[in-house]
Amino acid sequence: MLQNPLLCIAAVGTMAVSLTIVAFFGVLFFNFEELTTSWSRRIQIKTYLEKVPEEQALKDWRQQIESYPEVDSVLYVSREEAFERFRKRLGQNSDLLQGMNPSILPASLEIGLKEGYRHRKGVEAVVAKLKRNPHFSDMRFGREWLERFDSFVMLLKFSAAILGGFLLFATIFIVANTIKLTLYARREELEVMSLVGGTPAFIKMPYVIEGAAEGFLGGFLALAASYLIFSLFLEKSLVSLLLTMGVGQVSFLPPPFQLGLLVAGTALGILGSMTSLRKFVRIRYQ
Amino acid sequence: MIRICNLSKSYQKDSAALCDINLAIGKGEFVYVTGPSGAGKSTLLRMLFCGEKPNRGQILINGRNVTRMRTSQIPYLRRQLGVVFQDFKLIKNRTLLENVSFPLEVQGKKRHEVSKKVFQALKMVGLENHLKKYPLEISGGEQQRAAIARALVVDPMVLLADEPTGNLDDQTTQEIMELFKIANARGTTVVMATHNQELIRRHPRRVIVLRQGRVVEDFMP
Repeated sequence: MLQNPLLCIAAVGTMAVSLTIVAFFGVLFFNFEELTTSWSRRIQIKTYLEKVPEEQALKDWRQQIESYPEVDSVLYVSREEAFERFRKRLGQNSDLLQGMNPSILPASLEIGLKEGYRHRKGVEAVVAKLKRNPHFSDMRFGREWLERFDSFVMLLKFSAAILGGFLLFATIFIVANTIKLTLYARREELEVMSLVGGTPAFIKMPYVIEGAAEGFLGGFLALAASYLIFSLFLEKSLVSLLLTMGVGQVSFLPPPFQLGLLVAGTALGILGSMTSLRKFVRIRYQ
Repeated sequence: MIRICNLSKSYQKDSAALCDINLAIGKGEFVYVTGPSGAGKSTLLRMLFCGEKPNRGQILINGRNVTRMRTSQIPYLRRQLGVVFQDFKLIKNRTLLENVSFPLEVQGKKRHEVSKKVFQALKMVGLENHLKKYPLEISGGEQQRAAIARALVVDPMVLLADEPTGNLDDQTTQEIMELFKIANARGTTVVMATHNQELIRRHPRRVIVLRQGRVVEDFMP
């Protein structure tokens, strides 16, 4: 690296810029994913009960529903609690309820789902199971909202896959070609090493280590640059955008992804070097 | 030392770079391979250090058939050969000391042994005061001397030189020839490709003449 500082800077710089773009995309993706997770917490099934159940029956139902793999929580909302919630929701107009008693509202069970089942299919699976019980006649789960939510999540994942795949491909392509160019500039050196009896492993090893070091450095610089961009520009604009959508705070890349970026940089450096070296280190031509 | 049997090489279907070459070069011989440009001199030398594979025929060096040698074995053969080129092929961003050390480092020699041998080799070619210089800081003749030091530092059994004086003036050419003669006197077999007839006349040794890929003459002047 010290013998070819300019080539080294070019390789590290290219890797850093490419990986910064990937990291930048990662920040956006993770925050939008957080948004969908936050929205998905609102997904629940409400089943209204015609009569107030007896204590033992309620206990049995809860146990049964909680045993479903999709179900995270079951909350019984009595008529009184429902009436109280309704009063709160009416706010200033709560006096409309004067002279009425809680028996006008039905008791209900609010069923929350585990994270992996917070989508239309998950909800429908639970609803189908609940329908087997004749006491659960009236169920609400916001079908239209759920469909819109599912479409949004689908769109987000699809865009992430397309854009992420494109970015990853572009990064691999750029990094591999940069390393190839740096090795092309040093092909005479490689040829001489081969002529004086260097084995392929002996010749390649320093360049592979150099590629790994450049990749690691590129990944580290990308991490630093993306953090700088995030805290100087992205954080404020993302906060204002996501606050309106219901997410309280935005966050930088999670630690596993940060580590992943360093590993990806190192791996790209190694792979880029190895593939290019295979072309430039030839012991015998046909 | 070197035996070549029915060696042929062609890059295109209708033209042969080498055609049915048969040669024997004894241990400690000094041989010129000469002929006009495109006669196949460089191709023959590349075959000898396994830089290329022949289409047909065999090359035996010290009893080993190098044409059938596995690619993984070629580096070990090259450690017993010294190769010198017209364009020197020194690594430009390494000092002369590092350039000449490299063949010994490849062989995993100990540091003190490397230092001793490298200094001796550079002293032999008269560059012991330029250890820390880079190739582009010295003249062409000095660069070729450094390349010869790199070739000789491993005490090769065969020294292959492809137009080693092609880029050099007359006086430097004579200096380089003296170095080859010293190496030869120490027992190294020297095979030198050149089209410089004056050089052959001044330093008469066995001459193999190639023309259009064939041996047309093989004589001792």
